[in-house]
Amino acid sequence: MTTHATDRPVVLRATELAKDYPMNGETVHALRGVSLTVRQGEYVAIVGPSGCGKSTLLQLLGGIDTPTSGSVEVDRVRLDRLRDRQLTRLRLMRLGFVFQRFHLLPVLTAAENVELPMAEARLGREERRARARELLGYVGLADRAGHRATQLSGGEMQRVAIARALANRPAVILADEPTGELDATTGRSILDLFRRLSLDGATLVVVTHDERLAAETGRVVHMLDGHIERDSFG
Amino acid sequence: MTAAGVIAPFRNLFRHRLRTGLAMAGIMVTTAMLLDMVLLAGGIERSFARLLLGRGFQIRVSPKGTLPFDTEATIPRVGKVRRTILSDSAVVAAGPLFGTSVYARRGDSLLTLFGYGVDPSAQALYQVESGDDLTVLDSTGVLLSRTVAQLLPAGPGDTVTLVGRLDPQVAVAGVERRLVVRGIVRWLYDYKGQPSVGALFTVVQDLAHLREADRASALVVKVRTDAEAAAAVDRLRAALPALEINSIAEVVGRFRQRLVYFRQLSFILGTISLGITVLLVSTLMTITVNERLGEIATLRAIGVSRATVVRGVMLEGAALTLLGGLLGVALGSATARYLDRILTSFPGLPAAISFFVPEPRSLAIAALVLLVTGVLSGVYPAFLAARAPIAATLRTEAT
Repeated sequence: MTTHATDRPVVLRATELAKDYPMNGETVHALRGVSLTVRQGEYVAIVGPSGCGKSTLLQLLGGIDTPTSGSVEVDRVRLDRLRDRQLTRLRLMRLGFVFQRFHLLPVLTAAENVELPMAEARLGREERRARARELLGYVGLADRAGHRATQLSGGEMQRVAIARALANRPAVILADEPTGELDATTGRSILDLFRRLSLDGATLVVVTHDERLAAETGRVVHMLDGHIERDSFG
Repeated sequence: MTAAGVIAPFRNLFRHRLRTGLAMAGIMVTTAMLLDMVLLAGGIERSFARLLLGRGFQIRVSPKGTLPFDTEATIPRVGKVRRTILSDSAVVAAGPLFGTSVYARRGDSLLTLFGYGVDPSAQALYQVESGDDLTVLDSTGVLLSRTVAQLLPAGPGDTVTLVGRLDPQVAVAGVERRLVVRGIVRWLYDYKGQPSVGALFTVVQDLAHLREADRASALVVKVRTDAEAAAAVDRLRAALPALEINSIAEVVGRFRQRLVYFRQLSFILGTISLGITVLLVSTLMTITVNERLGEIATLRAIGVSRATVVRGVMLEGAALTLLGGLLGVALGSATARYLDRILTSFPGLPAAISFFVPEPRSLAIAALVLLVTGVLSGVYPAFLAARAPIAATLRTEAT
C-alpha cells in the first residue's frame, strides 16, 4: 500500500476549487475552495456524506466539468487552459475513469470495450488486441473477452470497466463509487483489484461510501459541505 | 475497424429491432417510391428515343405541324420529296411510310387491320421474326404481325386477301388484292396485340386510293453519321419548307415537352420520398441519441472525441438508410416491373415503350442522393450527441 511520499511527483493538483450550480432559481455551492494534491502512486479515498461534493470534485479533477473558480492540473497541465479537443485528448491518454454504473457499451464485447480507448488513441489493431487480452487477464476475465457487456455480471462489468480505464496507461485512475452497485462479495473482489493496482504502482483517487475501501487506502480525504474537513494519511 | 467508430453504430441498429425494422420498412417504401419516380421521370423518354433510333434513321419528315402518325394528314407528291431528300449529300437512305385502315377476308367476314406501306430498302417500322422480308419489287408480298397471323390464321407462303377501305364520300369501291405472306414481323410502334400488316408502299397506296396523289404519312431519313443529322435537318428544312422535318433529338424534345407535367409530378413525389426518409431517420436517431446520452457522456468522459461520437451517429443513420435503401431498390424494381406491364398494355401505346427504364447515371445519382440524405438525417441527432453535457448527463444517469 502506498503512503504519503513527498518525494514523488505531483500528478494531480486542485487549487481553491469552487463549483456552483443553479438549482430552482438558487445557487448551490457544491464545492467551496477545495485544494488537493495527489502524488504518483498514491491511493486516495474521498469520503463524506451524500451531497458533500465528492463526485463533483472527481468530475472537476477528471476534466469532465469546469470549476466556477480555481484550477486543476494533471501532470502539470492546467485543464482550464486547454481547448475542448486537447482536454478530451488528455482524458483519453492521462486519465482513467471507473463509474458506479460501469457504463460499458452494451453492443460491444468485453475485449472491444477495453480496446475502445486504444482505438481512439490510434493504436494498431494487433497492439490493441494484445493489450486488451493482457488487461482482461489482469482483471481475471481472460475467458470472458468475447462476451457482450450485457452477458456479464455486475462484478465482471466493473472489472472490464477497470481494464478499460487502464487501457492507455493513465497517470491517474479516478473512480466514482466503484462498489456502489455491487453486493458485498463482488465489491470485495473489486477492492482487491484496486489494492493490487495500487501495489503495482497505479495512482488511484476513489470516491466512496464504502468504509472497507477507505480503510485500505493510504490516504482518506474527508469532505463535508463542499470542503475538505480532514485529510488523513494512513 | 474500430469499436466505437464502426462496429458499435452497426450493432446499435439491432438494439431495438422492432423500431429499427419499422424505420427500415419506411425507408424501404420511400426508396422504392424514389426509385420508381427516377425510372419514370426519364424512362419513357429514353425508351422512346431508343425506339426511334432502333433502325438507325436519324430524321423524320411529316406534314407541317405534326409528328409522324400523329394525325391522318399526309405528305403530297412524296416521290418528288424523296428525290429532294436523297439529293442531300449527307443522306444515305429515305423511305416513305404510309398508314391506313385495311381489311382482310376471313371466311365471309372482314377483319379490320392497320396497314403499313413501306419501302423495304429503307424502313424503320419492323423487324422480321420469321419467314422472309419483302423485296423492293415484291408487289405481291405481305408481312403480318403475329396477332394477324393468329387471327386469320396464316403464315409464310399462305395467300391472304386484303381489301382497301370503302370511302362513302367518294363512292369508290374497295380495291381487293391477293397477297402472299412472306414473313411474320414485329411492328415496332404497334401497341400490344395490334393487328397490323405491311406491303410495298405503292400496294398500300393503291388499297387506300391514294396512288394518284402519291401521298405518304411520313418519311424516315438516314444520314451517314449521327453528327451530321442536325446540319442535314437544317438543309432539308430550307429545301422543303412546307414539311415538318425533325431530328430524333428534336422529336424526343417535343415528346419531352408533352411529358413535362409527368416529370414534375415524378420530381415532386421523389422529393416527398426523400423528405419522409429524412424525417424517419432523424426521428429515429434523435430518439436513439436521447436514450443513449449516458453512453455518449461516458464515451466523452473517457476521452472519445466529439468527432468520433458525431461520426458514429451519422454512420448509424447512413447504415439504416443504406439497408432500408437496398431493400427499397428490390421493392422498387419489382413494383416498376409490375406497373410497366400494366402501363404498356394500354391501347394506343407502342408495346416497345417502357415507362420505367433503368439508367446507370440516374440510378447512381439517386443512390448518392439517398446516401447523402441518410447522412444528413443524422446531422441534428449527431449535434445533440456532440453537445451533450458530460458531467450533468453522468449526474442524471447516476440518480
